Amino acid sequence: MSGVALKSIVKSYGETTVVHGIDLEVKSQEFVVLVGPSGCGKSTTLRMVAGLEEISAGEVTIGDRLINNVAPKDRDVAMVFQNYALYPHLNVADNIAFGLRIRKTPEIETKRLVAEVAKILGLEEYLDRQPKDLSGGQRQRVAMGRAIVRHPKVFLFDEPLSNLDAKLRTQMRAEIKRLHKRLGVTSIYVTHDQVEAMTLADRIVIMRDGYIEQVGTPMEVFNHPINTFVASFMGSPAMNQVNATLVKTEHGYCAQIGDRLVSLPQSQQLEDRVGKEIVVGVRPEYVSIVPLEGTQGVPIEVDLLETLGSEALLHTHVGDAVFVIKAETIDGLEHLHALKEIYFNPSRMTVFDAETGIALNHPTMN
Amino acid sequence: MQKLSISTLAALVAASMTLPVTASAADMNYKVTDKPLELTIHLHTKKYVYNDDWPVEKRAQELTNVSLKNVASMATNKSEEAFNLLIASGDLPDIVGGSSLKENVNQYGPQGAFLPLNDLIEEHAPNLKAFFDANKDILNAISAADGNLYFIPYVPDGKFARAYFIRQDWLKAVGKETPQNIDELHDVLVAFRDGDPNGNGKKDEIPLFARQWEELIRLVTLWDGRVSGSDTYHDFYVQDGEIRHGYSEEGYKVGISNLAKWYAEGLIDPEVFTRGSRAREYLLSNDLGGMTHDWFASTSSYNDSVSEKIPEFSFKAFIPPEGISGKRVEANRRTKVKPEGWAISYTNEHPVETIKYFDFWFTEEGRNLSNFGIEGVHYDLVDGKATFKPEILNAGTPINTQMWQVGAQVQRGFYQDYEYERQWSNKHALEGIALYEAGDYLLEPYMGVAFVEDEKKVYDKYWPSIKTYMLEMQQAWILGTSDVNEDWDKYQSQLERLGYSKVMKVMESAYERQYGS
Amino acid sequence: MQSYNEKLAWLGRHLKREWQIYVLLAPTLIWFIVFLYKPMYGLQIAFKDYSVFKGIVGSPWVGFEHFTTLFGNDHFIRAIKNTVIISSLSLVFGFPVPILLALMFNEILNPKFKKTTQTIVYLPHFISTVIIAGIVITAFSPSSGVVNLLLQSLGFDPVYFLVKPEWFRPIFIGSGIWQESGFSSIVFLAAMAGVNPALYESAVVDGASRWQMMWKITIPCILPTIIIMLIIRIGNLLEVGFELIILLYQPATYDTADVISTYIYRQGLQAGQYDLAAAAGLFNAVVAFILVMSANTISKRLSNTSLW
Repeated sequence: MSGVALKSIVKSYGETTVVHGIDLEVKSQEFVVLVGPSGCGKSTTLRMVAGLEEISAGEVTIGDRLINNVAPKDRDVAMVFQNYALYPHLNVADNIAFGLRIRKTPEIETKRLVAEVAKILGLEEYLDRQPKDLSGGQRQRVAMGRAIVRHPKVFLFDEPLSNLDAKLRTQMRAEIKRLHKRLGVTSIYVTHDQVEAMTLADRIVIMRDGYIEQVGTPMEVFNHPINTFVASFMGSPAMNQVNATLVKTEHGYCAQIGDRLVSLPQSQQLEDRVGKEIVVGVRPEYVSIVPLEGTQGVPIEVDLLETLGSEALLHTHVGDAVFVIKAETIDGLEHLHALKEIYFNPSRMTVFDAETGIALNHPTMN
Repeated sequence: MQKLSISTLAALVAASMTLPVTASAADMNYKVTDKPLELTIHLHTKKYVYNDDWPVEKRAQELTNVSLKNVASMATNKSEEAFNLLIASGDLPDIVGGSSLKENVNQYGPQGAFLPLNDLIEEHAPNLKAFFDANKDILNAISAADGNLYFIPYVPDGKFARAYFIRQDWLKAVGKETPQNIDELHDVLVAFRDGDPNGNGKKDEIPLFARQWEELIRLVTLWDGRVSGSDTYHDFYVQDGEIRHGYSEEGYKVGISNLAKWYAEGLIDPEVFTRGSRAREYLLSNDLGGMTHDWFASTSSYNDSVSEKIPEFSFKAFIPPEGISGKRVEANRRTKVKPEGWAISYTNEHPVETIKYFDFWFTEEGRNLSNFGIEGVHYDLVDGKATFKPEILNAGTPINTQMWQVGAQVQRGFYQDYEYERQWSNKHALEGIALYEAGDYLLEPYMGVAFVEDEKKVYDKYWPSIKTYMLEMQQAWILGTSDVNEDWDKYQSQLERLGYSKVMKVMESAYERQYGS
Repeated sequence: MQSYNEKLAWLGRHLKREWQIYVLLAPTLIWFIVFLYKPMYGLQIAFKDYSVFKGIVGSPWVGFEHFTTLFGNDHFIRAIKNTVIISSLSLVFGFPVPILLALMFNEILNPKFKKTTQTIVYLPHFISTVIIAGIVITAFSPSSGVVNLLLQSLGFDPVYFLVKPEWFRPIFIGSGIWQESGFSSIVFLAAMAGVNPALYESAVVDGASRWQMMWKITIPCILPTIIIMLIIRIGNLLEVGFELIILLYQPATYDTADVISTYIYRQGLQAGQYDLAAAAGLFNAVVAFILVMSANTISKRLSNTSLW
């Protein structure tokens, strides 16, 4: 197995540059997810690795091999496409065997490999069917089968689950994860769905406008977003962001929100920002509705309550900004409706520069 | 002197008073009705429909008090289609005219669509009666199978159509005289082939060519073969009151075998079957063609048009060479009557007025009007003969076009006057015609027959296939893909199998009915 | 009765609500009725002794007389034979050409070159048949035609192609292919444009060459279009390009060139036998109908693709 390394990768179409010099190292056997809104360059990056797009500048290596000028078929990668890209005139077995036959794999070997893959993916009963007779999930499995069967060094996934309904997507997500565990192949996965990114990735790469915003494990990017963009993009509901002024009191650094003071995580980096505008980020999950020791309550009013089952989303507001809280419903809803105060745990808060949006208390900066 | 002058004056006065009177009296003679009468007409040809505004029509209206109103449309230029649409609608105008009229009126006339004209002519049309009395053969030729006449034809004038033409300058170049018999003709063609008469050093001369390949087949008359006796190709012919078809006869066989030999020798245009209508233009203006058989007027005109390019160019008509039996024969002549003209439909409520109107065109006044246009505008009477005014002759536009534009020489039922054509013919053409006038080369014309229904069925069933077979073999023989002498017996029996004698039988009975005395 | 009234009421409501849809349908329907169904009424003249003046109704019935006449005629039988041979050969040789052209266009990457070549091959389609015939006659002329000049420069004797029965079919079919292939390739190009590009990308990653992609993706994906076009062609099998034959054939080449439509033209229309022509036309239509039905059924069985 081998890793993939991208060094200052640039993609331009004439005057327009869509990927601005990306550096990324994917370790061997690692599952990396590229995530970002549409048009951020994530698919283009993936297609450059696959060889479907020319690399305008920079270097891509797989293992120790520079592959900029290597034909797609010789890169030893396999790709799974968003709309499955199944051949409508071939049955499932022939679809899976397509790549092997192109490479003139002996027929007995091909049969064995197809059977093996069908078993892994639970497609044994469907081998004789035509793609049009399969469900979306089954088609997706065939598409993956086609990638797996070749035992490539690297798997590339281009939004493979976005054509599926929500339930199937959850199921397939788990299946992909399992598959990766079992096969241990280096994988690069593109999606615009942050949940998919969180659940699948060993590391997440968040992209925007052709730049990488942050690279990290799911928990790193969730807990320590490097800027307000990552903060709002990762997690659902998104991180609450409240405008405030940084003040220094005897209890340390505090955010002044209206006439209230809220304790912030204590960090040296805040020192030179005292008195300036900041944005305080709090995840809805990290807001407490019961008093926490050593914190002052912040008074709120519940505007709207959405129940999700075991949890509920409380829509409130701080100043003009909407502020969402996630709370457990195990004790019923009445006290949630009646909620008047909430409490912040300073260690779970992120402070961003209001001007640049960059996190001021990020662990990597300490 | 004075006395004399008085009496002269009196005579002049009298004359001046009587002149307009006689003129108006003459006008009165042509009046068909006292009250103006308007009749509707469908007259459709490929190029035009009847036009109410033609000066000739206006003039006829003044003279006869009858005006014709056109109902035909130029929406299609296919006269046959226009006629079928008209007849299928059943709503016929008073008069129907135009191209291919004969076959149509002779088919639908007996079914009741058109009025028989014989009695009407007898009673009301003295000029038409006189014409048909004098031209019994024309009357016979255009009568329907029931013996009735259903239309008044367009009767062309003049006898000659096509003639043999040869390059006199080429003859001089190869040192030969105008050929007078088959052997001389063969020698001349060989000399044209080998003697480089166009002097370009290349053996590219086409000794004998034809715009219509059927004109090549006409050469079988040199070997006493016969081709069509009408102006339709591959038609029947008449000899000594008997109807026959040339393509099944001995002379044709001999002729074809000789023509095939000439073709193989390279004396005949190798592309004769496909070069098409531009052959003459191309071969003459490129100094490649030596001899042909084609129309007098148009072929003679190349003497003027090509001489700028080839100064010594001289393409002259010559009399038919003697055939194997020593006779000189020109198998092509002008038809005596065209299948065009006009007819009275069954819906016409004024048949008597209409026939009188038709009769007007066969009076001298009407004939001049239909041939030369308006007196004083297009022609003057010189010694009692209509003569085109010089400004008309020298207008630059061909006379026939000028005449069509004013409504003369159009396909109404009228009697053409050859004078009309002679007055504007090229001098080379007139020379040629004079050559042919001097001898007696023309053959008896075949003017067509009208079938009764059963005859038509037999004819329609067998004849197209027979004709197809005849033409296939004809070309195969000329091209040398097959040999006429070897094939002849098989050819005869195949014709028989296709129904040749059945067709000949109905042709004979139809001919007998039509022309038998 | 009750249910009938209910149905009527339902129809009324339905029409009131959906009348716009029926208005949209109307022009096509009217076109079909006026131009295709109404003329069928005239087909009966195939069984009548038709006189234009007496009209369709007024003409007497003659049963199958015209058909007996037709099939009793050697030339009609020969015309059927020629029609079948010419159209089968043009199907065999002519049908694949537009597909090949489309495949070639599909592989051309330079857009300028692609457009130029496409225009060049579409062009003959817009030339009238008369001109095409003129071009063919000129090109095959024994003295000045390019074909013969080429033959002569290669040391062969010139051939008078246009009067040789054995050459008529190749020339006719060839000129037909030249005139129509380019334009016919449009439909296949359209079908190719409809192929999901991911199929090719996936194949590229799998290691397929362009040649393999053409055989394993492009052709299978446009196969339904090919089959539909084939069925339509088979339905038109007996309709040979009549104008071009009329313009190109000669009595010398009737043996291989005379087809049903030219036979009808000579026998029927030129001689005014509309009833006979209608009988031949009806025969043509019946055969075409049988052909298209069988082609459709066979295709449905073999490939699951069919017109209906």
